Amino acid sequence: MSIITILIIVLVLVVVYALSVYNSLQTIKTRIEASIQEIGNQLKRQASLIPNLQESAKGYLKHEKTIYKNLTDARKAVDEAVKSKTGSKINAAAEKLSAVLPKLQVLVESNPELKADNVVSKLMDELRDTSDKLMYARRTVIDLTQDFNVRLVTFPSNIVANTFGFKKQKGIVTPMSGKHVEVSAAETKDVKVKLD
Amino acid sequence: MLNIYEQVDRNKRKSAIIMVLFISFIATVAWILAQALGYGLSFVGWALVLSGLMSFFSYYFSDRIILSISGARPASKKKDFHFYTVTQNLIMVARIPMPKLYVINDSAMNAFATGRDPKHAVVVATTGLLSRLNRTELEGVIAHELSHIKNYDIRLMSLVTVLVGIITLLADWFLRASLFGGGRNRKEGGQITVIIMIVGFILALLSPLIANLIKLAISRRREFLADASATAITKYPEGLAKALDKLSKDREPLEAANKATAHLYITNPLKNLHGGIGWFAGLFNTHPTIRERITALRKSI
Repeated sequence: MSIITILIIVLVLVVVYALSVYNSLQTIKTRIEASIQEIGNQLKRQASLIPNLQESAKGYLKHEKTIYKNLTDARKAVDEAVKSKTGSKINAAAEKLSAVLPKLQVLVESNPELKADNVVSKLMDELRDTSDKLMYARRTVIDLTQDFNVRLVTFPSNIVANTFGFKKQKGIVTPMSGKHVEVSAAETKDVKVKLD
Repeated sequence: MLNIYEQVDRNKRKSAIIMVLFISFIATVAWILAQALGYGLSFVGWALVLSGLMSFFSYYFSDRIILSISGARPASKKKDFHFYTVTQNLIMVARIPMPKLYVINDSAMNAFATGRDPKHAVVVATTGLLSRLNRTELEGVIAHELSHIKNYDIRLMSLVTVLVGIITLLADWFLRASLFGGGRNRKEGGQITVIIMIVGFILALLSPLIANLIKLAISRRREFLADASATAITKYPEGLAKALDKLSKDREPLEAANKATAHLYITNPLKNLHGGIGWFAGLFNTHPTIRERITALRKSI
């Protein structure tokens, strides 16, 4: 084997190595963009889903609160009536009770607590599913865009792509810099949870 | 720490390596056995045809066969809201058409996918699994099953089965021929013929076993790849990890499963209740252990 042959082989190996490094760097760069777009995907899902879930939960709690309030009022009236031992007060308390009792009966018989719970939980399921559908649809765009863009910048497919004028696709447009990819000094501090 | 993309890349590479080794092994053994028999490669051709025919029907009608064996009922959006809607959502990212969904009424937790290609795919889950996993964990499991469909694993394992069948047939013919004095008599005898006969004999005895072990290794490698592809779809490895955790704690064996269908399920449905599967017995596992799978998932970000 002459020196020239060895040198050529070494040169070919170096070129092949350099090309593979170039390609992997370009691929990782495209993937980084795709993963930042995924952050945008999740932020968008969060922005619409959380307020909707919050409102459903509030609605359910309000329903519970009303029944609880009626019960508490009735009980207070009974307590007062028993303490005062006056006939009229006892009558009034009895009336209050008989007003609440049918509501309670309806409660117990048809289990509206469970019913409301079921209706609300079904609503929350549908809310989450709708959000998920949008999220996965956006993810499809991100993945396809990434597959496409990778071919535009890696060798040798970039030659063909440039010849035919293929342009980089935008995907789910997310700013590549900004608060969502930065950690501020305040956020690095230890978080203390207070429950009152 | 491997990210989700690297996990998929790495698994694809390992899968390709093992396939190359497998095919080289098959080709070498087939050649040696054919030479030893003295009939040459035409016998390999016959073995291929026979093996292919035997496997063809089980591969082509895999969806119908499995459904009739397992006693499954079709799933509906009304009755199985999460199962149905999760699959609807994940097929978008997996970029495959909606598979037919079925439910098996069994308290044991398991799921499997089958079908000769994504257009004829079927995903089945047990009521035990659907009731005990929350939606996020179910997403992980369904993503794993859809990955099997998308990666054409059923087709791959059928081809591997055909190749193993070739070796089994050739080995069988060789042993019969040497026992009953078949095979063309070689005019030029000598040491090489004797060596080939001896090697052929050893291979005929061992190669079906070795081929099966490699086939099981391929099956385990494809399971890891399905786990990695699942996280590429959900971008949330912890979902599948938690589901596998719950599955590992479910000690109940699945009644509908048997050895023939075990490899299709998400975890081995024939539970190793006595524990302590040694390394050697572990070679015969169709799936990697759940511990290994959870570790691999939690290593990815």
